[in-house]
Amino acid sequence: MLTRRDLGLAAGGLVVLPGLARPALAQRAGGNLVMAQQAQPPTLDAQVTTAQAARNISLHLYETLYARDEAGNPVPDLAEGVDISPDGLTYRFALREARFHNGKPMTSADAKASLLRYGRVGGSAFIMQPVDAIDTPDARTVVVRMKAPSPGFIAGISSPRAPCAIMPEEEAGKDANKNEAIGTGPYRFVEYRPDSHVQLTRFGDYVQNRAYQGMDGFAGRKVPNVENITIRFVAEGGARTAGLQAGEMHILEAIAVPAAERLRSDASLKMHEMMPWSFQTLMLNLAQPPMDNPAFRRALQAALDLEEIMAISTDGLYRMTHGWQHPGTTYFAGDAGKQMYNINNKDRAKALLKEANYKGEEIVLLGDSSFKNHNDTIVTAAEQLRGIGINVRVNITDWPTAFSQRTQRSGWHVWALMLGIEPYEGPYGVVGFFSGHAPVQHVRDEVIEDCQRRLTTGLKEEERKQAVVDFQKRMYDEAIAIKCGDVGIVQATRAQVRDYKPYRIPRMWGVSLG
Amino acid sequence: MSALPVLLLVSLMSFAIVWIVPGDVASEMAGPTATAEELAQLRDRLGLNKPWPDQLLGWYSALAVGDLGQSILLRQGVGAAILERLPVTLSLTFLALAIALVLGTALGVLAAVRAGQGADRLAMGAALIGFSLPDFWLGLVLMYVLAVQLAWLPTGGFVPFSQDPLGWLRFMVLPAGTLALSQMGLFARMTRAAMLEVLCQDYVRTARAKGMPGWVVIGKHAFRNALIPVVTVAGIASGVLLGGAVVIEQVFSLPGVGRLIIGAIQRRDYPVIQGGLLLTATIFVLVNLAVDLLYAWLDPRIRHGRG
Repeated sequence: MLTRRDLGLAAGGLVVLPGLARPALAQRAGGNLVMAQQAQPPTLDAQVTTAQAARNISLHLYETLYARDEAGNPVPDLAEGVDISPDGLTYRFALREARFHNGKPMTSADAKASLLRYGRVGGSAFIMQPVDAIDTPDARTVVVRMKAPSPGFIAGISSPRAPCAIMPEEEAGKDANKNEAIGTGPYRFVEYRPDSHVQLTRFGDYVQNRAYQGMDGFAGRKVPNVENITIRFVAEGGARTAGLQAGEMHILEAIAVPAAERLRSDASLKMHEMMPWSFQTLMLNLAQPPMDNPAFRRALQAALDLEEIMAISTDGLYRMTHGWQHPGTTYFAGDAGKQMYNINNKDRAKALLKEANYKGEEIVLLGDSSFKNHNDTIVTAAEQLRGIGINVRVNITDWPTAFSQRTQRSGWHVWALMLGIEPYEGPYGVVGFFSGHAPVQHVRDEVIEDCQRRLTTGLKEEERKQAVVDFQKRMYDEAIAIKCGDVGIVQATRAQVRDYKPYRIPRMWGVSLG
Repeated sequence: MSALPVLLLVSLMSFAIVWIVPGDVASEMAGPTATAEELAQLRDRLGLNKPWPDQLLGWYSALAVGDLGQSILLRQGVGAAILERLPVTLSLTFLALAIALVLGTALGVLAAVRAGQGADRLAMGAALIGFSLPDFWLGLVLMYVLAVQLAWLPTGGFVPFSQDPLGWLRFMVLPAGTLALSQMGLFARMTRAAMLEVLCQDYVRTARAKGMPGWVVIGKHAFRNALIPVVTVAGIASGVLLGGAVVIEQVFSLPGVGRLIIGAIQRRDYPVIQGGLLLTATIFVLVNLAVDLLYAWLDPRIRHGRG
């Protein structure tokens, strides 16, 4: 067996107002920490949803067999490690000691039931499709048998996108959204008041993972110092900033870049910048003429001034990189396609339009006002494309409408989408988005299909890396979609929040209130 | 009697609108990069694939027994979800209405009594400004000044009146005050116009000729008769305030019906949108009914059908 344990307020009233005010939140260790986020979770069933708003909460309640470290690589969390057979068909997980919030010790039966539930209701249920059977030879061992080699399995079950959360067997037997929020995480669920807040409290019997010295991504040694956590849902960005300044909130999931710049000199606050957080893309609908003509798509690719799009849509917090994987990660595809990135050559674009025999057909640019980046990307790109003579119509809707529209083969040509968790997860989500039965571009590309096949079945890492290089080259050569650049994010804390490290979600284990 | 057809129409329209608007709750739950297959599975599990006539029949069958349905995302009945949030919205709306009525009519009476003088111009200028400023902008400015700079009030949140009356007031003053400012201007202008008309009437002149003190003439004879148009406006204003509460609840993070409906629209939680719109229409109809009854109490001619 091959061991890969390292996989790792009015005038009269003004007189009484001061008396109505409450002092800022108490500043003490232990204590109550308040985090504010824009949205509320669509559900607290961690396995079902891919929403960031749910992940911020559920990853304090639940743990997974494998999780992602600080660099985004899969590392053991509830598992001590995994032995993978040389043929890639058997995964033997040894479980570490852990205890659920209901007091029950975690066993292999809980892990098995949770994995099986994920295959039924999981937000990324496809990761369980290659699984043939799951055995539990003893209370601390889970053996997963595959129908065919699936090198992306550990990446899948370790992803925080829709976490493959381990829950008690009896909860795992329940349908989607019907389970109680019981996990093995450092905090346990107290209450959820929709449109207001979620309350968590420190899990006194939490079993720390002593294989680690400190926090490491979503894995590592999680130390719950703060006694209570309140996660408030504050829809208005200005109100979140005001709440942080007033001392009513300790951590903001995200703060607008201009507000962060304004508050950078405030000694009572700390701004934590993360780069990259996501990347901005323009998805193309290849089923809708003239997008079916590669010369026309290359004209768009040549015409766009991506740096202008990034500067406007991100309020200046961006990085110009061509990769469909982030630099410094395992699957970063080097310079593949780089010469086709951010060409910004109007003459070349006009020549390509002529070559494509473009007759002024209307091109619909689809965006949504729910996400500022999407709106600004579409508006800026539209102006640039008009500049080379393309007949552009901008269609800005709300997010659900734009999302629904993009699943149709007609009615749109270009759609703005920010990909965040997918590139963080590695290549599987990104390549998978452009392949399979319903690729985002609506027309299957055989080269990308082959890349996807090699990526998901290649037993050697080098084979999989080459598949990602070929994927990225094809994306640029055929202008399947346009990557605009990397987007950053600013998380904000009060200065008394100690040991805070910015990450994909605001992690509240390991921090304390000074 | 006209209330029933109105509510029937609203229920039908709310159903139609949510089914015509593209997008559904599955896309919210599954996320932006969900595949068509994943979405189809989720839609099937959530029962969103049923044909619309079945859904309409289900909606009216449930309504007939007083059931507004089950929220897809809240794991809660729509009726229970609305009832839980109704006290927040009603207390915000009626506190705002009370502030606007008391301060607005006081400003209007002052302006009418001092018509053409500096106090009149000042009061009407203030009313115009209050009426013109957008709620969301004013809310954020007041929040920055009163909560961040002066630390007199909290930036947002809510405590039920039953749990902590002073806490409730502390959280409600800023949003209700913000919401009240625009309608206060309207009440001030309406009261001034009505008072100026009434102050020219013979019975007011007679009261003054009899030697009654000025405040009695104004308070007892003029003001009460000037109240009829103000009450009419109050009825309309309560509807406007109820609508404005949607924005204010968003700005001040108040867990009210407005925020519930906005969230449901953003996430396409159909039963909540339908139930929320029907309930809002019901409140509006009941407020208008209350205004009609108040006319009769204020003016006996209306009560005896001589209005």
